[in-house]
Amino acid sequence: MDNPQPSPFEQELAATLSRGRSVAVPGFAERVVGAVRADRRRRTVIRWSSLVASAAACLVAVLTLSSPSEEALNRQTLALVARDESAQLADLFGAASDLSLLSPAVDKASVADMLNTPGS
Amino acid sequence: MSQEEPLIPDDEEDKRLMALVATGDDDALRLLVHRHHARLVGYLRGEVGSQATAEELAMEVFIRLHRAAARWRPEAKLSTYLIHIAHNLVLNEWRRRGRKPTTALEFAAEPGDTTQQSARRVAELDEAFQRAIAQLPPEQRTAILLVVQQELPYEEIAVIMGVPVSSVKTWIHRARSRLRELLKDFYGNE
Repeated sequence: MDNPQPSPFEQELAATLSRGRSVAVPGFAERVVGAVRADRRRRTVIRWSSLVASAAACLVAVLTLSSPSEEALNRQTLALVARDESAQLADLFGAASDLSLLSPAVDKASVADMLNTPGS
Repeated sequence: MSQEEPLIPDDEEDKRLMALVATGDDDALRLLVHRHHARLVGYLRGEVGSQATAEELAMEVFIRLHRAAARWRPEAKLSTYLIHIAHNLVLNEWRRRGRKPTTALEFAAEPGDTTQQSARRVAELDEAFQRAIAQLPPEQRTAILLVVQQELPYEEIAVIMGVPVSSVKTWIHRARSRLRELLKDFYGNE
């Protein structure tokens, strides 16, 4: 069976569209390769950044989990303070300072007057 | 701009090149682009109505093809796969713009050995056709472009658009009717 002759409309439609069927762009392949290389580099950077961030997160997690509890830290601090001789010396000096604070209460002149007073 | 036909696509050669692209071979990618870009840009220009946007989208198609090269399985022809990606990008482009292209497409009549008068007539008709095609609903425009411009079979268009063949046939029928209506000043009631 013969195919019917396409109408002028069909012929024009096909002609119009087929003119834009293939549009070769000079240098397009080079542009694509350049864009693909840039995309590859960008994705490599993103992948490494992600890996570094994950590694850092793991490190923080390990440090946090392996650190002593608050109570243990308090005990360690107290033990250190107890062993610290310089702190004990400072305590002694602190006590001496406290005594020297009392000294202005003793009036040297009045003591001398009292000793020199006849009949005392 | 050169309008020369690209090399005839050869499925086996496409498969071989895709395998090389998956290993990071840029020369293979260059060859693939050379083989397929002209038809891809032609289709995209018909869809979006701008040479610059068509080239940008075609570039994105090849970047996505490169990313997917390692996972690509040759279930369909590579050209079908490329137009499928391009079609999805066109849908995204329309969503991004928030509207569908309704203006006449860029078009320059090809210089030939015709007289000035007939060249003007051809240019007028072309412009009228392009304007009418731009007014079609998106799915009808895609279907008519793929069947008339790209000369693809209904089955392949259905794969590209992700719809049943019956939908493709309906859209093409409606597109033809709508175009006849829009161009009745030129053709009357055929």
